[in-house]
Amino acid sequence: MTSTTDREAGQVGDVIELSLPVAADLLVVVRLTAAAVASRAEFNVEDIEDLRLAVDELCLPLVRSAPEGRLVLRFIRTADSVEITACVDGPEASGGPDAASHDPEDALSAQILDALVDEHGWDGTGSRCWLRKRRSSLPV
Amino acid sequence: MDCAVRPLGPSRERFAAFATTGDPALRDQLVTEHLGLAHQLARRFVNRGEALDDLVQVASVALIKSVDRFDPERGVEFSTFATRTIIGELKRHFRDKGWAVRAPRRIQELYLELGHIISSLSQELGRSPTVAELASATGASEEAVLEALEAGQGYRASSIDAGGEGQPEGLSARLGSEDKRFDGVDDRSVLAPALGLLPEREQTILRLRFVDGLTQSEIASQIGVSQMHVSRLLTASLAKLRQAFDDQR
Repeated sequence: MTSTTDREAGQVGDVIELSLPVAADLLVVVRLTAAAVASRAEFNVEDIEDLRLAVDELCLPLVRSAPEGRLVLRFIRTADSVEITACVDGPEASGGPDAASHDPEDALSAQILDALVDEHGWDGTGSRCWLRKRRSSLPV
Repeated sequence: MDCAVRPLGPSRERFAAFATTGDPALRDQLVTEHLGLAHQLARRFVNRGEALDDLVQVASVALIKSVDRFDPERGVEFSTFATRTIIGELKRHFRDKGWAVRAPRRIQELYLELGHIISSLSQELGRSPTVAELASATGASEEAVLEALEAGQGYRASSIDAGGEGQPEGLSARLGSEDKRFDGVDDRSVLAPALGLLPEREQTILRLRFVDGLTQSEIASQIGVSQMHVSRLLTASLAKLRQAFDDQR
């Protein structure tokens, strides 16, 4: 279905958004999406596996802090990386850097992210977290 | 975030002492103090068909390695270093077992296995099985099953110029040409010429599915192939038609 020209034209700048109820058992959808996006970015299988683990850790603090509302994710494929941002859209939305530094589980998530991705953090208002993982090397 | 597991100051000094002395008692102490981290990380991998005890053991061995190899001079916190090492070992453990880091070959195998299981479960249940049922039958996670099914559909529509079954010169060479077998087909349909170029079996499947309204399983038993094969052929034929359609516009 994808011709060579299609692929070249679509090489940079896929933006994919997901909105789903806040629920840990729905993270499978997020993981599969992350894996598919990373695969389009030509990540190797190990990097894809890392990203799969990482999205869990990205979302878990949000899921823990906001039992209601919707988890909104945005996947961006750039020339050599995948960026994912996550936030909760809803009345209960909280979380953020303060919550993260107090909850040991969240701190562990941050530490796991350190091991899996190149960069990650919370944005200024503390309601949105993000990660970026670069492709480790181009397939030969 | 680095203080998640242990306060830094005193442990840093002890790591420095251990790095110079290699004192086994100090080593034990450092390992014991960080067992909680090994445990927590092992728990992160628990929903993948491995017993927690085994994972904790893998993580603990990795923790010991981390204590032995940690260089406090490098300015990284021990917990950061250990997390990286332990996750690496846990991933390796699953990879050696053939899971989690799902190498393409593993997905292939699972896909083939699914083919058999889908037909036997379909017969057993009198209906098409769910992903959850397939997961429990294969011992794989639902996620892995979904991926394997997706990989099976991963028919990358070969370029329209590539030759197909018994059509060495490729589809594009004949697109738009007359096809005697389809004289009766409404020639205003933009799809008709392309349809005629599909292998006969794919034409039959398309007709059974979309004209006669049979399910994939019904088609499968009628033409004597697996349901998954029907699914794959349908995806492939539709992709070819879509391509031909796009090219004509």
